[in-house]
Amino acid sequence: MGVNTSADNGQPGRRPVRLVLSDDLGRKRMTVGFRALLVLPHFVWLGIWSIGAFFAAVANWLVTLATGRSPAALHNFLSLYVKYATQVYGYFLLGADPYPPFDGRPGYPVDVEIDPPAAQGRPTVALRIVLALPAILLAAAVFGLMSTNSGSSGQFFDFSPLGLAHAAAFLGWFACVARARMPRGLRDCVVWGVGFGADLWAYVLVLTSSYPDLDPAVVLGELPRRSDPIGFEAGEDRRRSRLTVFFRLPLAIPHLVWLLLWSILAIVAAIANWISTLVTGRSPAALHRFLSAYLRYQAHVYAFVGLIADRFPGFAGAARSYDAEATIAPPERQNRWSVGFRLLLALPAWFLAAVFGSLLWTCSFLGWFASLITGAMPRRLLNPAAQALRYMIQLNGYLLVLSDAYPYSGPCRQEAAETPPAAPGAFG
Amino acid sequence: MPAWVSTRHGARRGSGTPARASRRVVWALALLASACAWAWCAHLLWGTIVPGNLHLPHVDARRFFSASLLRRTSSFDRFLDIAGVLGSLAEVVVLGVYACYGHRLMKESAAGRIGTGIMLALLGFALVWLSQAPFDVAALWWERRYHVIHEGYVAGLIGSFLGLGASFIWIALAVAVAMALAGWMRRRWWIAAAPVFAALALLSAFVSPYLIAKTHALGNPVLTAEARTLEAREGINGTPVLVRNRSRTTSEVNAETTGIGPSQRVVLWSTLLDGHFSRAETGVVMAHEFGHVARAHVLKQIGWIALFLIPATALVALATRRRGGLARPEAVPVALFVFVVLGLVTVPLFTLVTRRYETEADWSELRATHEPAATRRVFERLASTNLSDPDPPAWAYVLYARTPTLAQRIAMTEAWEERASR
Repeated sequence: MGVNTSADNGQPGRRPVRLVLSDDLGRKRMTVGFRALLVLPHFVWLGIWSIGAFFAAVANWLVTLATGRSPAALHNFLSLYVKYATQVYGYFLLGADPYPPFDGRPGYPVDVEIDPPAAQGRPTVALRIVLALPAILLAAAVFGLMSTNSGSSGQFFDFSPLGLAHAAAFLGWFACVARARMPRGLRDCVVWGVGFGADLWAYVLVLTSSYPDLDPAVVLGELPRRSDPIGFEAGEDRRRSRLTVFFRLPLAIPHLVWLLLWSILAIVAAIANWISTLVTGRSPAALHRFLSAYLRYQAHVYAFVGLIADRFPGFAGAARSYDAEATIAPPERQNRWSVGFRLLLALPAWFLAAVFGSLLWTCSFLGWFASLITGAMPRRLLNPAAQALRYMIQLNGYLLVLSDAYPYSGPCRQEAAETPPAAPGAFG
Repeated sequence: MPAWVSTRHGARRGSGTPARASRRVVWALALLASACAWAWCAHLLWGTIVPGNLHLPHVDARRFFSASLLRRTSSFDRFLDIAGVLGSLAEVVVLGVYACYGHRLMKESAAGRIGTGIMLALLGFALVWLSQAPFDVAALWWERRYHVIHEGYVAGLIGSFLGLGASFIWIALAVAVAMALAGWMRRRWWIAAAPVFAALALLSAFVSPYLIAKTHALGNPVLTAEARTLEAREGINGTPVLVRNRSRTTSEVNAETTGIGPSQRVVLWSTLLDGHFSRAETGVVMAHEFGHVARAHVLKQIGWIALFLIPATALVALATRRRGGLARPEAVPVALFVFVVLGLVTVPLFTLVTRRYETEADWSELRATHEPAATRRVFERLASTNLSDPDPPAWAYVLYARTPTLAQRIAMTEAWEERASR
């Protein structure tokens, strides 16, 4: 199963709030350059609309609480509001190129469809805001809070108020100005965040009782299949032992200490690998093997801590020894220019990895409670967490000069691994 | 059964008997020699500077402490003692059950032989922590009720949980070492394990001072000068004296000697310096700690741990044979149970040793300060600030008293005074 797997049980059917994406990735440099200014009228209009939507939402909540169904007029008004907000943010964050209409009419390249009113359980309506809190936390990670007063420090474990969609839009802006085209991965990150935001708003505004789903395969539909030199495969089993979940962090401490010690050696090996690859154009087999084991071990530990996998991992980073596995191709020829400027080139990915880190640990934090209660990691948390970890592992593989393939930012499905079957751990 | 089996066994019995007998003799002699060496080491560690013929006068606690204070300290300490006993029973029960069924958790590991053993050990101690949590909360409630601890319940539990995480590093290391040795040396792993564990204890003692948070240098110049004078009298010049900020979490007064060699230091709790204790009384406490430094009590206690580890690891090796030896992860829960039970059984011995060293530190302090009056006042104050029962019942004394009772300490002060006046 790839990182974004969803063919297993727990896969939802047709959702009442669906993203409709018809963007062709082409961007006009002029409108991209002035995007933040061009969108201002829309933000003013959205603000005015929000005042009306607030009162409509309160009325909708009261009526739905009383009758068990959202009234058609309020439902239509609020649906239109959600659609408009989606289009505005889709435009602002470079998820689409055309200037959006002011009335939320359908047909925009980043749009949502919302089903007509359906019966809703009154208890969930009554507690809607409380129930929405976990989804709001997730939205903060995948979409972002608007208070971008502090950026990322570039570390994996920092919580970034920026959010994935905003971070992807920031990076995408440079790409669009340079190439007049939004990279697919960054566009998908933006749309993932915007689509989840629409799902959340529809839930909060009592348009649907269907809980927001962060699984990228659900938000975006079919994901691109990729066969990267460095990939990540999560296991299919979502069952979790409540005992090891409860003590997950203390159990991970020996691994974290061991990983820290190993990291010191890995940094030295990575420098040696960088120099060798710069000279010969190919990573030496011994260093590649050692650093691959380190990267696999890192994936094992993060997957264990992040509840992407359940079992206690080994300490050697042996290939195919764990339920969540980094797949690393054998040494390949690398572009010397890309090797020489590796650290500089990795900066944008580093920035995005910080945001993915927030997403991973938010999913893990919520997944901890869910796993403790239900004995299983929810698919809607597992798959986003696995996507985030996949990106972080790809970035680390890139930094360790194991491959010159740039980390793919968007959610994707990983094709079969290319890891040699009997690759040992670093210590035998 | 095929005929050759009995033939072979018979042949081996016939030809091997003298060799086996001589091997047994060698083993018995080696065991005897080891026991003698063990006893000799214990004898060396047992010795103190307190005169062997010192006669402690009987001290009636009511002479020094009011009846209401005696009632209060007795009530305070008994609850904690009983909670401690119940907690220990819970620990034994939990580990007993874990020893029977813990191996079923092996399926939760993808970590290979040693990694799985580490996981089982960590989970075992995690369950112990869980079983102790209600007793810890009850003890915290009691201490808050008596205004000895000011820490909140959530902070207390989080602190305890974080402490568990820190201890997991040492547990993981110890299990990894033991299992690696067991894989290599099979049944004789314990012979190498005891010194390795003692080395780990040394390492832990060395690094522990660096892990104490919220410390700063002793700022008061008068006390600093007093410390230098006392160090010189005890012959341990240059021992750093630090202050640990504990005023926010407790009103208890204490000081500790930690570390070995270059890491050794005396740490005074800030509660000692908040003005309730006079300069002379603070000097008494510092001199007591310098007594620990001068007599190398940290090292001696590690020596006792090493002596304990030799029979303990041998018993663990024996107990885990039925599960295939400690090389196999399924034996780890049994090993935990045996080790912890041995630890609990030997608690009275360890408290006895600790009390002996505390007595020696008290004697060393009296020799350095010549301040019996200030020393007596310190002990009187400890009853009211720490609510230490001056005269606990025998069972509580044997199990939990890590220092002599306040009555015994005052009696020793009087005995010293009497000797000094001769």
